[in-house]
Amino acid sequence: MHIPDNYLSPATCGTLAVAMVPIWTVAVLKVKVQLKRQRETLPMLGIAASLAFLIMMFNLPIPGGTTAHAVGGTLLAVLIGPWAACLALTVTLALQALLFGDGGILAFGANALNMAVIMPFVGYACYRLGQKWRHPKIGLAVGAYLGINTAALVAGIELGLQPLLAHTASGAPLYCPYGLNIAVPAMLAAHLLVAGWVEMGFTLLVYQFVQKVAPTSLYQTAPRTSQRRWLGLLLGLAILTPLGLLASNTAWGEWGPSELKHLLAQQHLTAQVPQGMAHGLHFQALFSDYAIAGLPVSVGYILSALTAIMIFGLLIRGLQHDTQLKN
Amino acid sequence: MIPNLKTKPLPTWLTVPNHPVKSKRRASMQFLSRNQHHLRHLLQRLAQPAPVQPSSWPLSPQINLLRLGLVLLLIASVHSFVWLWGLALLLGLQLLLLPPRQLRYFIRRWLLSCCIAVIIVLPSYWLAGPATVVFFGVKTSLMLANAQYFRLTTTFQDVLAGLKAWHCPNVLIMTLAIAMIYLRMLGQHLLLTTEALDLRLVAPTRHPYRLIGALFGNLYLKSYAYALELYAAMEARGFNGHYAKPVGTASHWRDYLSLSPVLILMGLLLFGGH
Amino acid sequence: MALLTLNTVSYDYPTTHGLVDLTLTVDAGEFICLMGPNGSGKSTLLRLLSGLTTASHGTYQLAGHAINAAYLADAVKRQQLHQQVGMVFQNTDVQLFNPTVAEEVAFGPQQLGLPAAAVTQRVTDCLALTHSTELRDRVPYQLSGGEKKRVALASVLALNPDILLLDEPLNGLTIAAQQDMLVLLQQLQRAGKTIIMASHNFQQVQSVGQRFLIFNADHQIEADVTQAELATDTTLQAQLMTL
Repeated sequence: MHIPDNYLSPATCGTLAVAMVPIWTVAVLKVKVQLKRQRETLPMLGIAASLAFLIMMFNLPIPGGTTAHAVGGTLLAVLIGPWAACLALTVTLALQALLFGDGGILAFGANALNMAVIMPFVGYACYRLGQKWRHPKIGLAVGAYLGINTAALVAGIELGLQPLLAHTASGAPLYCPYGLNIAVPAMLAAHLLVAGWVEMGFTLLVYQFVQKVAPTSLYQTAPRTSQRRWLGLLLGLAILTPLGLLASNTAWGEWGPSELKHLLAQQHLTAQVPQGMAHGLHFQALFSDYAIAGLPVSVGYILSALTAIMIFGLLIRGLQHDTQLKN
Repeated sequence: MIPNLKTKPLPTWLTVPNHPVKSKRRASMQFLSRNQHHLRHLLQRLAQPAPVQPSSWPLSPQINLLRLGLVLLLIASVHSFVWLWGLALLLGLQLLLLPPRQLRYFIRRWLLSCCIAVIIVLPSYWLAGPATVVFFGVKTSLMLANAQYFRLTTTFQDVLAGLKAWHCPNVLIMTLAIAMIYLRMLGQHLLLTTEALDLRLVAPTRHPYRLIGALFGNLYLKSYAYALELYAAMEARGFNGHYAKPVGTASHWRDYLSLSPVLILMGLLLFGGH
Repeated sequence: MALLTLNTVSYDYPTTHGLVDLTLTVDAGEFICLMGPNGSGKSTLLRLLSGLTTASHGTYQLAGHAINAAYLADAVKRQQLHQQVGMVFQNTDVQLFNPTVAEEVAFGPQQLGLPAAAVTQRVTDCLALTHSTELRDRVPYQLSGGEKKRVALASVLALNPDILLLDEPLNGLTIAAQQDMLVLLQQLQRAGKTIIMASHNFQQVQSVGQRFLIFNADHQIEADVTQAELATDTTLQAQLMTL
């Protein structure tokens, strides 16, 4: 699921990296709170990062003779807590990108969003729900499956938006050449059919083992649980991110020569919507709105980019204040 | 436990020679040896990191990191061969400063990574026509070359120092440092575990996944134990929660000079079209 | 006929040598102690004999089969080899991966397809032989170093291997437990098993080993002596005492 460089436009990469900043900030703050409770979490972060590296490297056999590998996002969230998992996985992805050339350096923000945020949090939310209904294992299984598939869906959307966001005058895509109608089903099919089940089996069995052998070393939720509010905010962030991506992307695309800019804008307005693609429709609507308002297209783009940044900025402020109060 | 010094006779099954049982089912434990191979490769790479060549133009780590980011951004943003050509020349100039042995190493690694990338990239761009494939091949290999050059000229310590200088939180930097050290330890542990498991696999197992669950469950518990030990050791050494800032070279004219070509190109790209 | 033969075997690690030009013949039922400084090649030899690695140069024959990469690539042959050769690792942590000690010991016999009663019998016997009966329901991960060694030996014995390879099995054991283990190993040898053991502890093993292979720092066998020969060679004894 590691998106390599050159598949996403620099604008998308930039937007997603900016979108990750508030999430990382919150994660660091939350982990600092967790550190007060369990001091060994600090070294555990680094060790968990190397554990995640090994999990992502380990080939698992699947029927038919081929292999797949798990990501372990949900598993880590359950073992060391979702915020710590977010940081550990971020570090794993950074190591892979910077030192091992696995996954793009520019696409780091996108990869981090998919694998270090969406996956552990979706998985962990399902696990907590399962725990609430007295079936943590079912929750975990569903979480692992849903987590990786949600991450794949988002990766598919990120890739599939590229032909719409960046293409040449003649309409040839500049980055990932496949639209939503191909990228999303392709990513989802692979994960719904194979990788999701592999992830689920792997997560469940490791969890079962740890629970049987040393149940105390599982992550214990903080006594004062305000987890749900945080999860809500995070989900909000995750939902906002594709919006930010849509909104600010083309503003960054202004970097291209002016001709391109002009044609690009026209293309956006006239591009054929892939059939049955709700996202495409939504996207189309967004841009026609700007046109109707009578603003020059580029001004609309810049405004929406600023709005997205403003929303994230406000969220950071809100979250920071919240954390300080809790301390 | 008080050991029992009296010797008990061996059970009969243990005194007869072993007649190996031949299993009828074909084994499907190929994945174990494949993973052992990967792990050995990783460990070898961690044990002997590519010799880092401090460039004859020592840049401060933060500028180095920024430079890599900007160059990659440039490569990703431009859509003309002429630009790529210029950027390739820029990289070529840097490569000229490398000693020959390093250069050979660089080219070997770079070609290898390009091959892998092309195998991944080619099929997906083929639909868009051969021109796109070539263009993307060039772009991707140029990006890989820059990343490879960065890896070759920057130590892990410098990466950390660079991140620190860009105000990356202490928690993340420390996590990165610990992760790098423990990757080797956990990798070693996992390798030995798979070997020990392999030695005791005397028939094809029906539940390879159960074994994998146990492998990684154990690895997690081991890492938890490592974390407790490490924390005790950190505290014993007076750890106060801050990552010591390495003595970095202050940014000076050399840094800005090396950044300038990239910045000029960036400026041209941004404002040239208007 | 010799049980196993090594002919001019060398093993190279990426940066250093592991074994250099080793020629060795072992008969069934021998009790061999490997001695020598750290990093002299004892563990490498055990890994080679167990089929975990193959020689860089030279040949290894076990019971008439050449053990090489092609032989080990065949999963069925490989598994048969693992039934014949058992190994206790120096770091027993890596060897124990089941949730309980009883499951750990039962792991091997269960794969062989033995009936449940026979498996239980083997578990009970092996735990009794290694004085670990009371550990039966414990979690291997939480055992002490010495307990882990005993459980690892039990889990290897449960497969009834003909050749038993032990890498520093006495480390972490109390003096009494060391005695127990050596007595058990002698018993196994008398029952016809071949035992090859790497050890630093000359005082403990000098009375049980029948043949001593002494490695030097150049990864070669410096001396290959019987117990009787060693008993008369005081300089060698003095050298081994300092290991």
